[in-house]
Amino acid sequence: MDLKALKAQESKRKISKGYMWALFCAVFWGIWYLPGTVVWVLNPFDEMYGEIAGASGDAVSLVVTAVLITAFNALTVMLALMLWNGVLGKFGELGRTLKEFHPCSKWFFLASIFGGPVAILGSFMAMGFIGGAFAAVAALLYPVIGSVLAYYWYGEKISKRAATGIIIIILGGITIFGGGVITELAAGGVPWIGYLGGLMAAAGWGIEGAIAGKGLDISEPDVGLTLRFLGENIIWWIIIVPILAIVGYPMYSFAFQAFEPLTLLVLIFAGITFGFCYVCWYKSFPLIGVGRGQGIGNLYGLCAIIFIFLFFGDVPAWTILVGGTLCVIGSFVMFTEETAALETLRGE
Amino acid sequence: MGKNRPIKFRILELYLDGEEHWNYEIVPKIQEEYGMKDNFHRDSINFDILELASGGMLKDVEQKVDEEGIYKKGFLLHKYVITDFGRVRGSDACIRYM
Repeated sequence: MDLKALKAQESKRKISKGYMWALFCAVFWGIWYLPGTVVWVLNPFDEMYGEIAGASGDAVSLVVTAVLITAFNALTVMLALMLWNGVLGKFGELGRTLKEFHPCSKWFFLASIFGGPVAILGSFMAMGFIGGAFAAVAALLYPVIGSVLAYYWYGEKISKRAATGIIIIILGGITIFGGGVITELAAGGVPWIGYLGGLMAAAGWGIEGAIAGKGLDISEPDVGLTLRFLGENIIWWIIIVPILAIVGYPMYSFAFQAFEPLTLLVLIFAGITFGFCYVCWYKSFPLIGVGRGQGIGNLYGLCAIIFIFLFFGDVPAWTILVGGTLCVIGSFVMFTEETAALETLRGE
Repeated sequence: MGKNRPIKFRILELYLDGEEHWNYEIVPKIQEEYGMKDNFHRDSINFDILELASGGMLKDVEQKVDEEGIYKKGFLLHKYVITDFGRVRGSDACIRYM
């Protein structure tokens, strides 16, 4: 076969594999909102919520319960990623990368602060108080935060096309948040803490992406992501959960009750879907470019709505549908620039 | 530097000489150094090079067909050179050894 034909064949192979990984990411990410929503009604979290709400009020109870759920999510993601690294034979590389604190691990641990206690906790808060579909589409605003940060931190240019995409996404965001708030204002109380959770998800993931990129580009993503979740587990299990326990919340007694078959199954399901959506996301980048990878990955918003409809029979409010569609369109506009143009933007 | 540093650091370090290198020269060298002989690891190391290239740290400058099967018969071979961005990231990461 001649050079030209082989080149075409190679690029075709890369593109189809890249789109496959990106689609897997969107599906896994979308599915994650199922266990994320279900876990709230399972014991011990259901009981925990009730017990703390009785003593400290709904808002505090929601956040404290979300902390324990997020901590378990981090644990099961870590298990899934360790298994993945074991299968790939990457434990050696894991150790080598962990030791590189200055160029690598530092960034992963910093990223885990924004990914865990901000983004994932926020997502669980939004799922618990408003619903999975809202939590999913609210987080679609993350590319806006990410590119604004990259502009201020690394002086990365925001092209005209990206700016157009950002405006469309913001319009989508206004529809999702504004629409929801107006409906609920009319109905009485607004669950502000759920909306705060939605904003935390978007801001946290935007910041996490901007920081994690600094360590991930010179390490292997399978390994880097595992370290990022190692950081998150340290934050939850060594810092926040013990602090909450010392303050007087019954963290450990409920944590031990989580070892029930059904609860464990749902948590493991959450860990597998969430862990692999990250892995797939990063696998797609070298094959189709970061832009297209993120653009396709963002279809998770629609996947989540579809899965929630299929499994729970919930049809989301029209504001979520319209806003979510705007966000997905916006992210496509933003990310489908020529990869070559993106590379030179970054390299110079 | 050798086998106690992450693989991508080592790949960048090899390219930091500023010369163009073929992937069939770099991959077996890494396999040798890290004791990763099988084909699965060969492809995994090659994917690391792909990632470095897509991150803008290496540039794909030449391709040829692997006629004799020096690397993977019938597939494309790629020749890369480090970019300015790769030089900055690479020397930042490898700084204590420079």
